[in-house]
Amino acid sequence: MSTVGTVALYVVFALAVYATGAAVLAGRRRDRRLMQSVSNALVAAFVAVVVAVAALEYAIVSHDFSIAVVADHTSRQLPLPYLITSLWASQPGSLLLWLTVLLGSSALVMYQNRHRNRELLPWVAAVMGGTAVFFSAMAAFVSPPFAKLPAAQIPANGFGLDPSLQNPYMAAHPPSLYLGYVTLTVPFAFGMAALITGRTDARWLLSVRRWTLISWTALGVGMLLGAHWAYVEIGWGGYWAWDPVESAALMPWLAATAFLHSVMVQEKKGMLKVWNMVLVSTAFALAIFGDFLTRSGVVNSVHSFVQSAIGPWLLGFLAAVIAFSVAMILWRLPLLRADHKLESVVSREATFLFNNLLLLALCFAICWGVVFPILSEAVRGIRSSVSTPYYNFFLVMFGIPLLLLTGIGPLIAWRRASTRSLARTFRWPITSAAAGTVLLWLAGLGSSWAGMTALSLCIFVTTTVLLEFARGTSARMALTGAPPPRALFDLIGRNRRRYGGYIVHLAVVLLVIGIVASGSYASVGERHLARGQSMVVDGYRLTNTGLFQTREQNSVTSHVRLAVSHDGKSMGTLDPGLRLFTDTQQVSNEVDIHTSLLTLTDLYTILQGIDTNGSGGVSVKVLVNPMIGMIWLAGGVFLLGALIALWPDPREVRMLARRYAGALAREA
Amino acid sequence: MSTALAAIAAAALVIGVVVFVAWPFVSPDPPPPEEALSETDRRRLAAAERRDEAYMALRDVEFDLRTGKITDEDYQRERARLRSEAAAALRELDDLKSKQEIKED
Repeated sequence: MSTVGTVALYVVFALAVYATGAAVLAGRRRDRRLMQSVSNALVAAFVAVVVAVAALEYAIVSHDFSIAVVADHTSRQLPLPYLITSLWASQPGSLLLWLTVLLGSSALVMYQNRHRNRELLPWVAAVMGGTAVFFSAMAAFVSPPFAKLPAAQIPANGFGLDPSLQNPYMAAHPPSLYLGYVTLTVPFAFGMAALITGRTDARWLLSVRRWTLISWTALGVGMLLGAHWAYVEIGWGGYWAWDPVESAALMPWLAATAFLHSVMVQEKKGMLKVWNMVLVSTAFALAIFGDFLTRSGVVNSVHSFVQSAIGPWLLGFLAAVIAFSVAMILWRLPLLRADHKLESVVSREATFLFNNLLLLALCFAICWGVVFPILSEAVRGIRSSVSTPYYNFFLVMFGIPLLLLTGIGPLIAWRRASTRSLARTFRWPITSAAAGTVLLWLAGLGSSWAGMTALSLCIFVTTTVLLEFARGTSARMALTGAPPPRALFDLIGRNRRRYGGYIVHLAVVLLVIGIVASGSYASVGERHLARGQSMVVDGYRLTNTGLFQTREQNSVTSHVRLAVSHDGKSMGTLDPGLRLFTDTQQVSNEVDIHTSLLTLTDLYTILQGIDTNGSGGVSVKVLVNPMIGMIWLAGGVFLLGALIALWPDPREVRMLARRYAGALAREA
Repeated sequence: MSTALAAIAAAALVIGVVVFVAWPFVSPDPPPPEEALSETDRRRLAAAERRDEAYMALRDVEFDLRTGKITDEDYQRERARLRSEAAAALRELDDLKSKQEIKED
C-alpha cells in the first residue's frame, strides 16, 4: 500500500503543477475548455490525496512498522480509534491532512463556481493550485509520510502514541484547526484573483464571505476544543497558556474576525476596499506562519513537531505570499478607491473600523510575543521569551475596548447617529451596566479592577443584544401582526448574518465571564493527604478514602478516591489518577472534575504523587474554578450563532442573482 | 498487498487521472472562449452595486426607525438622500442600457 500512497502523492504534485500552469494560461487566453481541464485536475488531485490518506491509514491499522511514522507514533496495543487519529500525530501525516483539506476545498470551489465567477475562477485556481504545489512538494519530497525504515531498524512493535494524544479530542481538535487554517486559502485566492483581473467590485467578497465564516468558525471551535482538551488532559488546571502554537491559531482568527466586520462596511458603503484585501492576505499569511511555528521547531511548545527540514521551506513560502500580496495590492491601488467617505465617527462603520484596528493591534501584540524569542536568539544569541503577564496586559488593554465596541456597534445607525437617538438607545444598557457594577462590588468582586470592568461590560453587551432582539421582534410584530415566537423566528430568518452575529456576541460575553471569573477569583489548595485525612478548599472538604487501580488496553491507572462534601453536604467522590502507559512507559495525569450545573463552577482534582511506602498517602492539588464552564458553554453558543450566520439567505441569493444577471448576461 | 497488485492500483490511478483531466479536450462540443469584461460591463456592475447598496441602506434605515435607533427627523433626511442615490444609480443603468441598444441597432 505504501507504493500506492507514494505514487498517489506524486500524482497530486503533478496535477497541482499542471492545474497552476494551465489555470494561468486559461486566464490569459480565456480558454474555457482548458479551465474545465484545470477544474478536473483539482478534483482528481483531491481523489489522489484521499487515496494517499487511505493508504497511510491502512498501513497504520495493519501495523506496518516498516513505515517510519507508523513505527514512531503507534503500537500494537493502541486502541483502534487512536490508531486512526494517529495519522495526524506525526509531521508528515499532519501535512497530508493539510493537503487533503486544501485540495478538498479547491475541488469544492471549482464545483460551486462552475457557472459563475468565470473571469475570476482561473486565477482562483492558479492561487489555490500554487499553494497545493507547495504543500504537495513538501509531502512528496521533503517530509514524505511513506518513508521506510532500513530493514535492520524495523521494530517488532511501534513506540506508541504520546499519552496526551490518546484523548477523544484528538479526533476533533486538529482537523477543526486545520479546516480553519487551510480554508483561509479560499478568501486569499479570490482576493488575489480580483486584483489580477481588476474585478475589484463586490463579487469576490460575496464569494468568500461564507468561506471566511467557515474558517473562522472552525478555528474558533478548534481553539475551544483544544482548550478543553488541555484542561481535562494535561492536568495543570488551566486551559490556555499562551503557548506559541496556541497563539498561532488565535492570530488568523483575530484577522478573520476583523475581516468579517469590515466586509459589511464594503458591502454597504463601498469603503475599506484596500483594508479588506490587506485582511484576507494577513489572515492567510498568519495561517502559513502558524504552520511554520508548528512544524519548524523554532519555538518551544508542547504542540509543535520536532525540528525538521520543512521550516525553511515554509518560511520561504510565507515570504513569497507576503511579497505577492503586497505587490498585487500596490499594483491595483487605483481600483480600490472607496465609493464613500466616513461621514461621522459616531456611526456603525466607524465602530467597525475601531474594532478592526483593535483586533489587528491585539493580533500584532501577540505576534510580537511569539517572534520575540526567535528574534532575540537570532540577534543576541540569547533566547529571551515573553510570559503570560505580557499577553494578559495586551488582552486587557485591547480586549476591554473591544468588548465595549461589541456593545456599542449594534446600537449605532449606519452613516451617523444624532445625540438624541444615542441618548435614547443607550439609556437601558448604561443603566443596567451601572446597576450591575454596584451589585458586583457589593458581592465582593472588587478585588480585580480589570475583572470588574470586564464583567460590567458583559452586562452592557448582554443588554444591548437582548434589546436588539426585543426591539426587532416588536417591530416585526407591529409590521406583520405575528405572535412573538413567529416574529422572533422571522426576524432571525430575514437577517441571519446580523442576528447570528449577535448570538456570537453573547458567546463572547459567556467566554469573558468564564475567563474573568476562573482567572481572577479561583482558589487553589495543595497538600499531602494520609489515608483518612481531609483538606478544605473554598468550602469543599476532600477526604482520602483509599487507592484503587483500573486497567485498559495499553495502560494501568492508579487512582485515589476522594470523598467530597460542601458545607457538610456530601457531593459523592472524585477519583483523580496517575496513568502508566505500558507501551511508551510514560505517565500522565488523569484529573477528575466535579461541575456544578447551577454555577458551572468546577472542583478540579489532580493526583500529584502516591507514597511509595504503601501507606496509601497521596499528594493532591485541588482547584475551585468559578464559572469556568461558561467558556465551554460559550463554544456551543458560538457554534449556534455561526451556523445561523452561515445558513444561506434565499432573499440575498435572489438579489445577487438579479444584480449579476442584469449587469452580466453570461452569469445569468 | 502484493507488489503486482500495488503496481496495478497505482497504474489505474494514473490512467484514470489522465483520462479525467484530458476529457474536456476530447469533448465533441467545446465551449466558446470567455468574453472579456468591457468598460460598459464594469460601469453597469458598479451602478448595480450602488443601487443595491442604496436599497439595503433604505431597508436598514427603515428598520432602525422601527427599532428606535434613529429619530424620525434623521430617518426623513437619510431616506431622501438614499432615494436620490438609488435614483442616480438607476438612471445610470438606464443610460448604459440605451447606449447598448443603440450600439446593437
